[in-house]
Amino acid sequence: MNQPTHNTQSNPVQLYSGPIIAATLSPLLGFYTLMISHHVSRVTKDLDKLVHAFGYWIPGSTGTGPDGSIGSYSGKETLALGVWFLTWLIFHFLWQKQDLPVKRWIPVFLGAIGFVTLCLFHPFIDPILLLLLSSGR
Amino acid sequence: MTAEQAIHSNLAKILVRSQAYLALIILLLLAGLDFFFPTHYRLQAGVHGMSAIGSVVAGTYLTHRAYALIRGVHVNFKSLRYWVLASMLLNFLGAVSGNWIYMRYRGEGGPKEWILANAPAFHNYMMEFKEFVTLFPFPLMAAVSFVLYYYGDAIHTRRDLTQFVGIIILVSWMFLLLGFVTGLVLAKLRFV
Repeated sequence: MNQPTHNTQSNPVQLYSGPIIAATLSPLLGFYTLMISHHVSRVTKDLDKLVHAFGYWIPGSTGTGPDGSIGSYSGKETLALGVWFLTWLIFHFLWQKQDLPVKRWIPVFLGAIGFVTLCLFHPFIDPILLLLLSSGR
Repeated sequence: MTAEQAIHSNLAKILVRSQAYLALIILLLLAGLDFFFPTHYRLQAGVHGMSAIGSVVAGTYLTHRAYALIRGVHVNFKSLRYWVLASMLLNFLGAVSGNWIYMRYRGEGGPKEWILANAPAFHNYMMEFKEFVTLFPFPLMAAVSFVLYYYGDAIHTRRDLTQFVGIIILVSWMFLLLGFVTGLVLAKLRFV
Protein backbone atom coordinates (compact mmCIF):
# COMPACT_ATOMS: atom_id res chain seq x y z
CA MET A 1 0.00 0.00 0.00
CA ASN A 2 1.40 3.32 -0.97
CA GLN A 3 -0.16 5.49 1.67
CA PRO A 4 1.13 9.06 1.90
CA THR A 5 2.67 9.63 5.29
CA HIS A 6 3.93 12.56 7.30
CA ASN A 7 7.32 10.98 7.58
CA THR A 8 9.45 11.59 4.55
CA GLN A 9 13.00 11.60 5.74
CA SER A 10 14.68 9.10 3.48
CA ASN A 11 12.14 6.75 1.98
CA PRO A 12 10.40 8.38 -0.96
CA VAL A 13 6.66 7.94 -0.82
CA GLN A 14 4.35 7.70 -3.78
CA LEU A 15 1.95 10.64 -3.62
CA TYR A 16 -1.29 10.71 -5.54
CA SER A 17 -2.72 13.98 -6.77
CA GLY A 18 -6.34 12.72 -6.67
CA PRO A 19 -7.02 14.02 -3.14
CA ILE A 20 -5.84 17.59 -3.93
CA ILE A 21 -8.04 17.65 -7.05
CA ALA A 22 -11.01 16.38 -5.00
CA ALA A 23 -10.32 18.97 -2.27
CA THR A 24 -10.30 21.82 -4.82
CA LEU A 25 -13.02 20.66 -7.23
CA SER A 26 -15.57 20.24 -4.41
CA PRO A 27 -15.47 23.85 -3.11
CA LEU A 28 -15.71 25.01 -6.70
CA LEU A 29 -18.91 23.00 -7.11
CA GLY A 30 -20.10 24.55 -3.84
CA PHE A 31 -19.43 28.05 -5.24
CA TYR A 32 -21.37 27.24 -8.42
CA THR A 33 -24.24 25.94 -6.25
CA LEU A 34 -24.18 29.23 -4.36
CA MET A 35 -24.30 31.21 -7.60
CA ILE A 36 -27.00 29.13 -9.29
CA SER A 37 -29.25 28.96 -6.21
CA HIS A 38 -28.85 32.74 -5.80
CA HIS A 39 -30.04 33.46 -9.33
CA VAL A 40 -32.81 30.85 -9.10
CA SER A 41 -34.09 32.56 -5.95
CA ARG A 42 -34.29 35.87 -7.82
CA VAL A 43 -36.66 34.59 -10.50
CA THR A 44 -39.90 34.32 -8.49
CA LYS A 45 -41.04 34.58 -4.87
CA ASP A 46 -41.96 30.88 -4.85
CA LEU A 47 -38.47 29.86 -5.96
CA ASP A 48 -37.03 32.12 -3.27
CA LYS A 49 -39.17 30.30 -0.67
CA LEU A 50 -38.03 26.95 -2.03
CA VAL A 51 -34.35 27.89 -1.67
CA HIS A 52 -35.02 29.49 1.72
CA ALA A 53 -36.58 26.27 3.07
CA PHE A 54 -33.20 24.50 2.95
CA GLY A 55 -31.77 27.03 5.39
CA TYR A 56 -34.38 27.03 8.15
CA TRP A 57 -31.97 25.14 10.43
CA ILE A 58 -29.63 28.16 10.59
CA PRO A 59 -30.40 30.45 13.55
CA GLY A 60 -31.59 33.81 12.25
CA SER A 61 -32.72 32.44 8.90
CA THR A 62 -36.24 33.72 9.48
CA GLY A 63 -37.59 36.71 11.31
CA THR A 64 -38.50 40.36 10.87
CA GLY A 65 -38.09 43.60 12.77
CA PRO A 66 -34.88 45.52 13.45
CA ASP A 67 -32.91 42.33 14.19
CA GLY A 68 -33.79 41.01 10.74
CA SER A 69 -32.82 37.64 9.30
CA ILE A 70 -30.57 36.33 6.57
CA GLY A 71 -33.55 35.04 4.56
CA SER A 72 -32.95 32.75 1.60
CA TYR A 73 -29.18 33.34 1.91
CA SER A 74 -29.37 30.57 4.53
CA GLY A 75 -30.74 28.13 1.94
CA LYS A 76 -28.06 29.04 -0.59
CA GLU A 77 -25.36 28.46 2.04
CA THR A 78 -26.89 25.12 3.05
CA LEU A 79 -27.07 23.86 -0.53
CA ALA A 80 -23.49 25.00 -1.18
CA LEU A 81 -22.21 23.33 2.02
CA GLY A 82 -24.06 20.12 1.12
CA VAL A 83 -22.62 19.99 -2.39
CA TRP A 84 -19.13 20.86 -1.10
CA PHE A 85 -18.99 18.13 1.55
CA LEU A 86 -20.78 15.46 -0.46
CA THR A 87 -18.71 15.87 -3.62
CA TRP A 88 -15.50 16.11 -1.57
CA LEU A 89 -16.28 12.80 0.12
CA ILE A 90 -17.20 11.08 -3.14
CA PHE A 91 -14.27 12.38 -5.21
CA HIS A 92 -11.78 11.84 -2.40
CA PHE A 93 -12.60 8.15 -2.13
CA LEU A 94 -12.82 7.75 -5.89
CA TRP A 95 -9.47 9.40 -6.59
CA GLN A 96 -7.55 8.52 -3.42
CA LYS A 97 -5.15 6.28 -5.37
CA GLN A 98 -5.17 8.13 -8.68
CA ASP A 99 -2.61 10.50 -10.05
CA LEU A 100 -4.52 13.13 -12.00
CA PRO A 101 -2.83 15.89 -14.04
CA VAL A 102 -2.44 18.83 -11.62
CA LYS A 103 -0.75 21.08 -14.19
CA ARG A 104 -3.78 20.76 -16.43
CA TRP A 105 -6.23 21.21 -13.55
CA ILE A 106 -4.72 24.50 -12.28
CA PRO A 107 -5.81 26.67 -15.28
CA VAL A 108 -9.25 25.02 -15.31
CA PHE A 109 -9.60 25.70 -11.57
CA LEU A 110 -8.54 29.34 -11.97
CA GLY A 111 -10.80 29.88 -14.99
CA ALA A 112 -13.76 28.31 -13.21
CA ILE A 113 -13.29 30.38 -10.07
CA GLY A 114 -12.90 33.54 -12.15
CA PHE A 115 -16.07 32.74 -14.06
CA VAL A 116 -18.20 32.00 -10.99
CA THR A 117 -16.97 35.29 -9.49
CA LEU A 118 -18.07 37.16 -12.62
CA CYS A 119 -21.44 35.38 -12.53
CA LEU A 120 -22.00 36.76 -9.03
CA PHE A 121 -21.52 40.31 -10.29
CA HIS A 122 -24.98 41.50 -11.31
CA PRO A 123 -23.97 44.04 -13.99
CA PHE A 124 -22.24 41.18 -15.84
CA ILE A 125 -24.73 38.35 -15.35
CA ASP A 126 -28.11 40.13 -15.32
CA PRO A 127 -28.25 40.94 -19.05
CA ILE A 128 -27.42 37.28 -19.77
CA LEU A 129 -30.03 36.02 -17.29
CA LEU A 130 -32.69 38.35 -18.73
CA LEU A 131 -31.91 37.08 -22.20
CA LEU A 132 -32.16 33.46 -21.03
CA LEU A 133 -35.43 34.09 -19.19
CA SER A 134 -37.03 35.96 -22.09
CA SER A 135 -36.05 33.27 -24.60
CA GLY A 136 -37.47 30.59 -22.28
CA ARG A 137 -40.96 32.12 -22.38
CA MET B 1 29.60 37.19 15.43
CA THR B 2 31.03 40.03 17.51
CA ALA B 3 29.20 41.34 20.56
CA GLU B 4 28.31 44.51 18.65
CA GLN B 5 26.87 42.57 15.72
CA ALA B 6 24.82 40.43 18.11
CA ILE B 7 23.32 43.50 19.76
CA HIS B 8 22.44 44.95 16.36
CA SER B 9 20.76 41.83 15.03
CA ASN B 10 18.91 41.46 18.33
CA LEU B 11 17.75 45.05 18.08
CA ALA B 12 16.42 44.45 14.59
CA LYS B 13 14.57 41.37 15.78
CA ILE B 14 12.98 43.27 18.67
CA LEU B 15 12.01 46.14 16.39
CA VAL B 16 10.53 43.87 13.74
CA ARG B 17 8.43 42.03 16.29
CA SER B 18 7.34 45.24 18.02
CA GLN B 19 6.36 46.75 14.70
CA ALA B 20 4.34 43.66 13.75
CA TYR B 21 2.49 43.51 17.08
CA LEU B 22 1.85 47.25 17.18
CA ALA B 23 0.59 47.22 13.60
CA LEU B 24 -1.77 44.37 14.42
CA ILE B 25 -3.13 46.05 17.54
CA ILE B 26 -3.63 49.41 15.82
CA LEU B 27 -5.21 47.78 12.78
CA LEU B 28 -7.56 45.76 15.01
CA LEU B 29 -8.74 49.02 16.59
CA LEU B 30 -10.29 49.83 13.22
CA ALA B 31 -13.03 47.36 14.13
CA GLY B 32 -12.31 46.89 17.84
CA LEU B 33 -13.64 50.37 18.57
CA ASP B 34 -16.98 49.26 17.10
CA PHE B 35 -17.61 47.71 20.51
CA PHE B 36 -18.06 51.24 21.83
CA PHE B 37 -20.27 52.56 19.03
CA PRO B 38 -23.74 53.81 19.97
CA THR B 39 -25.71 50.93 18.40
CA HIS B 40 -27.44 47.78 19.64
CA TYR B 41 -25.38 45.79 17.15
CA ARG B 42 -21.92 46.77 18.36
CA LEU B 43 -21.06 43.21 19.36
CA GLN B 44 -21.83 41.81 15.89
CA ALA B 45 -19.96 44.68 14.25
CA GLY B 46 -16.88 44.34 16.48
CA VAL B 47 -16.63 40.57 16.18
CA HIS B 48 -17.13 40.59 12.42
CA GLY B 49 -14.73 43.47 11.86
CA MET B 50 -11.99 41.98 14.02
CA SER B 51 -12.27 38.53 12.49
CA ALA B 52 -12.20 40.12 9.04
CA ILE B 53 -9.03 42.05 9.87
CA GLY B 54 -7.50 38.96 11.45
CA SER B 55 -8.33 36.96 8.32
CA VAL B 56 -6.77 39.57 6.03
CA VAL B 57 -3.62 39.81 8.16
CA ALA B 58 -3.16 36.02 8.36
CA GLY B 59 -4.06 35.65 4.67
CA THR B 60 -1.58 38.35 3.65
CA TYR B 61 1.20 36.81 5.72
CA LEU B 62 0.43 33.46 4.09
CA THR B 63 0.88 34.94 0.61
CA HIS B 64 4.56 35.39 1.53
CA ARG B 65 4.71 31.72 2.45
CA ALA B 66 2.87 30.93 -0.80
CA TYR B 67 5.70 32.37 -2.89
CA ALA B 68 8.17 30.05 -1.17
CA LEU B 69 5.91 27.14 -2.14
CA ILE B 70 5.63 28.38 -5.71
CA ARG B 71 9.39 28.96 -6.06
CA GLY B 72 10.15 25.60 -4.52
CA VAL B 73 12.55 26.86 -1.86
CA HIS B 74 12.81 25.34 1.61
CA VAL B 75 9.55 25.55 3.55
CA ASN B 76 8.93 24.84 7.23
CA PHE B 77 5.79 22.75 6.71
CA LYS B 78 5.10 22.33 10.41
CA SER B 79 4.74 26.06 10.92
CA LEU B 80 2.89 26.44 7.62
CA ARG B 81 0.32 23.84 8.72
CA TYR B 82 -0.39 25.80 11.92
CA TRP B 83 -0.72 29.05 9.98
CA VAL B 84 -3.13 27.69 7.37
CA LEU B 85 -5.21 26.09 10.11
CA ALA B 86 -5.36 29.37 12.05
CA SER B 87 -6.21 31.22 8.84
CA MET B 88 -8.98 28.74 8.05
CA LEU B 89 -10.48 29.17 11.53
CA LEU B 90 -10.35 32.97 11.22
CA ASN B 91 -12.06 32.74 7.82
CA PHE B 92 -14.74 30.55 9.37
CA LEU B 93 -15.27 33.03 12.20
CA GLY B 94 -15.46 35.83 9.62
CA ALA B 95 -18.14 33.97 7.66
CA VAL B 96 -20.21 33.07 10.74
CA SER B 97 -20.02 36.58 12.19
CA GLY B 98 -20.78 37.90 8.70
CA ASN B 99 -24.03 35.91 8.76
CA TRP B 100 -24.74 37.32 12.20
CA ILE B 101 -24.32 40.96 11.18
CA TYR B 102 -26.08 40.37 7.84
CA MET B 103 -29.30 39.80 9.82
CA ARG B 104 -29.24 43.37 11.10
CA TYR B 105 -28.11 44.64 7.69
CA ARG B 106 -31.37 43.28 6.27
CA GLY B 107 -33.47 44.20 9.32
CA GLU B 108 -36.08 46.94 9.68
CA GLY B 109 -34.37 50.33 9.56
CA GLY B 110 -31.08 48.59 8.79
CA PRO B 111 -28.39 49.55 6.30
CA LYS B 112 -30.03 47.69 3.39
CA GLU B 113 -33.18 49.81 3.63
CA TRP B 114 -31.18 53.01 3.77
CA ILE B 115 -28.81 52.06 0.96
CA LEU B 116 -31.66 50.95 -1.34
CA ALA B 117 -33.35 54.31 -0.76
CA ASN B 118 -30.23 56.44 -1.20
CA ALA B 119 -27.53 54.61 -3.15
CA PRO B 120 -29.11 51.37 -4.46
CA ALA B 121 -26.11 50.32 -6.57
CA PHE B 122 -24.11 49.70 -3.40
CA HIS B 123 -26.60 47.05 -2.35
CA ASN B 124 -27.59 45.65 -5.75
CA TYR B 125 -24.10 45.37 -7.16
CA MET B 126 -21.69 45.49 -4.23
CA MET B 127 -23.43 43.74 -1.33
CA GLU B 128 -25.03 41.10 -3.55
CA PHE B 129 -21.51 40.32 -4.78
CA LYS B 130 -19.68 40.62 -1.48
CA GLU B 131 -22.00 38.35 0.50
CA PHE B 132 -21.07 35.42 -1.77
CA VAL B 133 -17.40 35.90 -2.60
CA THR B 134 -16.54 36.37 1.08
CA LEU B 135 -17.68 32.79 1.59
CA PHE B 136 -14.91 31.56 -0.74
CA PRO B 137 -11.80 31.85 1.51
CA PHE B 138 -13.00 29.39 4.16
CA PRO B 139 -13.47 26.38 1.85
CA LEU B 140 -10.29 27.30 -0.05
CA MET B 141 -8.23 27.39 3.14
CA ALA B 142 -9.98 24.22 4.33
CA ALA B 143 -8.70 22.57 1.14
CA VAL B 144 -5.17 23.90 1.77
CA SER B 145 -5.23 22.76 5.42
CA PHE B 146 -6.49 19.34 4.44
CA VAL B 147 -3.87 18.95 1.71
CA LEU B 148 -0.97 20.00 3.96
CA TYR B 149 -2.04 17.62 6.75
CA TYR B 150 -2.94 14.79 4.39
CA TYR B 151 0.30 14.73 2.40
CA GLY B 152 2.50 15.86 5.27
CA ASP B 153 6.10 16.92 4.66
CA ALA B 154 6.28 14.48 1.73
CA ILE B 155 4.44 17.08 -0.34
CA HIS B 156 7.79 18.82 -0.99
CA THR B 157 8.66 15.99 -3.39
CA ARG B 158 5.87 17.10 -5.73
CA ARG B 159 6.45 20.60 -7.11
CA ASP B 160 3.09 20.58 -8.92
CA LEU B 161 1.28 20.02 -5.61
CA THR B 162 3.19 22.69 -3.67
CA GLN B 163 2.74 25.19 -6.50
CA PHE B 164 -0.98 24.53 -6.58
CA VAL B 165 -1.20 25.01 -2.79
CA GLY B 166 0.62 28.35 -3.18
CA ILE B 167 -1.80 29.42 -5.91
CA ILE B 168 -4.87 28.53 -3.80
CA ILE B 169 -3.48 30.64 -0.93
CA LEU B 170 -3.11 33.59 -3.34
CA VAL B 171 -6.64 33.13 -4.71
CA SER B 172 -8.08 32.96 -1.20
CA TRP B 173 -6.25 36.17 -0.27
CA MET B 174 -7.75 37.95 -3.28
CA PHE B 175 -11.27 37.19 -2.04
CA LEU B 176 -10.36 38.20 1.52
CA LEU B 177 -9.21 41.57 0.27
CA LEU B 178 -12.30 42.01 -1.91
CA GLY B 179 -14.52 41.19 1.07
CA PHE B 180 -12.59 43.46 3.41
CA VAL B 181 -12.73 46.52 1.17
CA THR B 182 -16.38 46.09 0.17
CA GLY B 183 -17.28 45.48 3.81
CA LEU B 184 -15.54 48.67 4.89
CA VAL B 185 -17.19 50.67 2.12
CA LEU B 186 -20.65 49.42 3.10
CA ALA B 187 -20.00 50.08 6.79
CA LYS B 188 -18.83 53.61 5.95
CA LEU B 189 -21.91 54.18 3.84
CA ARG B 190 -24.34 53.08 6.55
CA PHE B 191 -23.34 51.47 9.81
CA VAL B 192 -25.50 48.86 11.54
